[in-house]
Amino acid sequence: MRQLKDAIRGEVVRLTRTRLPLWTLAAAVACGGLLTGLVALTGPENATPPMPGLDTVAGVSGVVGLLGVALFVPALIGTVAITGEYRHRTVATTFLAVPNRGRVLVAKLIAYGGLGLAYGLVLAFSAVAGIYAGTFAYGIEPGLGLGAMLGTTARYGAAAAIYMLLGVGIGAVARHQLLAIGITLGYFYFVDNLMMILPGANIVYPFLPGGATSALTGSTAILEMIAAETGVNGPVVQAPLVGALVLLGYALASSALAAAVSLRRDVA
Amino acid sequence: MSAAVAPGVAAQGRVVLSGPTLRAEGLAKSFGPVPALTRVDLVARPGRVTGFIGPNGAGKSTTLRILTGLARADQGAATIDGMPYGALSSPSRVLGVVGDLAGAHPGMTARGHLQTQAALIGVPGARVEQVLEETGLSSVSRRRVRGFSTGMRQRLALATALLGQPSGLILDEPTNGLDPSGIVWLRRLLRAFADAGGTVLVSSHVLTELQQVIDDLVLVEGGRTRWSGSLSDFTGEHASLEEAYLSMVEEEMACDS
Repeated sequence: MRQLKDAIRGEVVRLTRTRLPLWTLAAAVACGGLLTGLVALTGPENATPPMPGLDTVAGVSGVVGLLGVALFVPALIGTVAITGEYRHRTVATTFLAVPNRGRVLVAKLIAYGGLGLAYGLVLAFSAVAGIYAGTFAYGIEPGLGLGAMLGTTARYGAAAAIYMLLGVGIGAVARHQLLAIGITLGYFYFVDNLMMILPGANIVYPFLPGGATSALTGSTAILEMIAAETGVNGPVVQAPLVGALVLLGYALASSALAAAVSLRRDVA
Repeated sequence: MSAAVAPGVAAQGRVVLSGPTLRAEGLAKSFGPVPALTRVDLVARPGRVTGFIGPNGAGKSTTLRILTGLARADQGAATIDGMPYGALSSPSRVLGVVGDLAGAHPGMTARGHLQTQAALIGVPGARVEQVLEETGLSSVSRRRVRGFSTGMRQRLALATALLGQPSGLILDEPTNGLDPSGIVWLRRLLRAFADAGGTVLVSSHVLTELQQVIDDLVLVEGGRTRWSGSLSDFTGEHASLEEAYLSMVEEEMACDS
């Protein structure tokens, strides 16, 4: 237990001795407050096609839904936890200090999990601040109250924190930084979208990372649009808690795979 | 850098070290179809500096990586006082390892790197200041590693190895990039470390330098231990380690032809 505590403390110290936490929180503000603030200030009604105004529930929900793009950032940051060690050839020094490689991974998951939570919190609060800035500028009341708005953005914050863990797991499996980034972006931009529309595949979609994310965040706009366009019923969306557990399951499964296979390989 | 005879040992306030016995028995290792080690045996004992030499590709680094748990042997055993490196309860307090020069993140300061390593192995932060002083890095401790020269990186690797106040040291080409005064300092450190009872296993291509510090020698060639014993037995009637080594190589070439 003492060794695990040391490993966790070491990983937290490592994080704080780089600029990564600073950049991570800056990214959360950019993806949260700046994005929603910019859209709110330009006015959703002026978008092409026009979106409902911020004085409506649909308008606020639509802008909050843009936070979906912010989820890839923590996933990509998470991949650095292990791939950065291989890229900068610091992994041997780390494994000499902590020879139990599974323990190293657990320590990184905990340290980056904390960073993910910080990202999620900043994302959630800054997004609300951005929307309020926009509505204040137009002199209107937002269509959702503060509590409800925070509740909605907090779900994206929670998803962001889990995406950070997912990134750590993917990075640990891949070990190579570009490969990990390729897997992360390739899956979420291509494979996941494909699974949404493939006949038959959408049965399992609720249990895939994209479906679980929709469940956790409550963002079903794309699924509804596909259903409307194709006339086929879209995938069933699970409860938010189920979505969170499914995502956590993927993070843990990828980490377990890494601990059992890729991290056991020789260090050059 | 401190001019003390054995700053690493002196600063630790130790008179006697209880060094571990490092042992490799029948190590074999292949990378795909290419055999890297076919049979390597070595022993490095407390109170002795053991030199580990051989031509490029002989298997020195692979052997050291197996000894320190970074690679797995296909056959044979590598132990530290009878246990694999990974089974030691506090490995960094038993064995300090100087391996790859690029062991620190380039974006970190030297102090940040050492603070990270100190936390990982559970030693107090005050130890960081001690090793910075011992290795002469105090004045550059707030500089990022990416701006370090090869010699400074080597010193940082040494500082990392000394963090846990180990009683054994494994060093792979430790004089790479060190300036002459750094080489002399390192030689004195290793000598004093072993004289205090510590175990030192050092690989190097610089035989003239190695000769000045080692007691024992292990020579590997083609993935196999070719010779093992005391330095004086190896050199015999030859004037130096280098001469004895070259003589052996020439004999081999004559036999091959």
